Amino acid sequence: MQSIKSEFPIFENARKEGRSLIFLDNASTTQKPQCVIDAISGFYTGYYANVGRGLYWPATIASASYDQSREKVRAFIGASSKKEVVFTSGTTDAVNKVVNSFLLPQLEQGDEVLVSEMEHHSNFVPWQQACQSKGAQLKVIPLDAELNLDLSELASMLTDNVKILAITAISNTLGVKNDLKKIIKLAHQHNVKVFVDAAQLPLSEKIDVQEMDCDFLAFSGHKVFGPTGIGVLYGKQGLFDKMSPLAYGGGMVQQVSVDKTIMADLPSKHEAGTPNIAGAIGLAAAIDFVNSVGVEEIGRHSAELRKYAVECLSEIEGLTLLAKDAEGTAILSFTVEGIHPHDIAAFLAEKGIAVRAGHHCTHPLIQKLDIAGTVRISFSIYNSEEEVDLLKNTLDEIRSFFL
Amino acid sequence: MNDRLKALYKTQILAHAKNSFNEGVLDDYTHKIQAYNPVCGDQFDLYLKFEGDVIHNTSFKGYGCAISKASTSVLAKQLLGKSKSEAKALIELFLKVINPENSESPESLTSDEELLAFASAREFPERLTCANLAWEKVKEVLEVA
Repeated sequence: MQSIKSEFPIFENARKEGRSLIFLDNASTTQKPQCVIDAISGFYTGYYANVGRGLYWPATIASASYDQSREKVRAFIGASSKKEVVFTSGTTDAVNKVVNSFLLPQLEQGDEVLVSEMEHHSNFVPWQQACQSKGAQLKVIPLDAELNLDLSELASMLTDNVKILAITAISNTLGVKNDLKKIIKLAHQHNVKVFVDAAQLPLSEKIDVQEMDCDFLAFSGHKVFGPTGIGVLYGKQGLFDKMSPLAYGGGMVQQVSVDKTIMADLPSKHEAGTPNIAGAIGLAAAIDFVNSVGVEEIGRHSAELRKYAVECLSEIEGLTLLAKDAEGTAILSFTVEGIHPHDIAAFLAEKGIAVRAGHHCTHPLIQKLDIAGTVRISFSIYNSEEEVDLLKNTLDEIRSFFL
Repeated sequence: MNDRLKALYKTQILAHAKNSFNEGVLDDYTHKIQAYNPVCGDQFDLYLKFEGDVIHNTSFKGYGCAISKASTSVLAKQLLGKSKSEAKALIELFLKVINPENSESPESLTSDEELLAFASAREFPERLTCANLAWEKVKEVLEVA
């Protein structure tokens, strides 16, 4: 793993107590390998221009690179066509766009939207606000005692009134993975469209939107070693075709007159304005990097570290692991009796260990669990068992300091 | 455990976080002040009972990290018996003690150990909002009260 870690310059540069940064906050964002940084600076220094219209040579290279990035994303998620891949600024932007262009135009009083109790605010608040603006109802699918989605509850909530089901692939707080194929099949039996928040999914398993059969899926570039400010919204072509543009402006039109506008074909129709070209190029480089290591390898390595962390941390008195048996994910949350999560995070930071503490943008879930928050650790390809050992030892020290 | 952080959590703070001053709800309060930090979720209700111009009784209830809880506890304790103008002065003093941009050393500002305990927050800008959460709220309320 050392050789892969050495591709991430931050671990050379960010040091504490003579050690590299120990970055256990990968569910929040991931560090960047040199190849991604080089791809972005290569664009700005070597062939920078706007895409689409320029008839001079840097513009043609820029346009081709932007298009190639879309193709890489298409292959990465197994979409059948580039027309189904729209660049956004991130997952949150994608949710808002689906809410505005797919849901709101058809949403009426008495309609229902389903989300789950484990959603991140970004896959919760936009749906909630849309429902409130139209007198529709947001219904929340509960979790069972093991903190898994309660599928029998879901089955009973799927009615003709439901316009869309918005569900996360993996809980960003608990690390619980949802059985999307099953959920989507169930929803489709009731003609309910499904939006998948895949923010935590791309480094956990190979995404195949056709096999999954989701109607929409979104993820963010920065969580897959790519830059911030770029994300992807996948939508089935039939839906993208029917939907009004996600935004209006330049670049998404065929013809404009004073009286009317004819929209461009997919996917341009849904991408108004100068896109985040550098972001798309950086994301493409990140996808190349992920493919070179292998999604399966990254997912396996991270899930094994989670398992190892469950073993180690279980030995600590007063420490409670949440959803400790969750399989195949990189995220693990815990609480320690008598010590607030932020105090734990502050002490870990002094040892150079970066973790998250708090509610992880999942207030409804934290309220249900009736806790002040959790400490969350989340792994990626550059983490190691030695780092987990150091985490464990530091937690022991913290306990003896506080208690 | 490293000294820099130990200094932040010095005994005063841990003691106040564990055994807080007047934790609970005051029945006959005149002012209930809610201090909430949406970023981290820390949440305290501070109860003050004014008699005339003087704060006759205080208590607080809520949850947060050790720093925010201890600072709220110290606030509740130190407000006791203060007039409104004394309370304002106390809060100004405390905010100066923890302000990293203040050039005066904390020790030159006060010799009160409970207040000085939070001076290390100057070195931890991300924890300043923990230390000043309740104090800033009370300051706002006193300005209009």
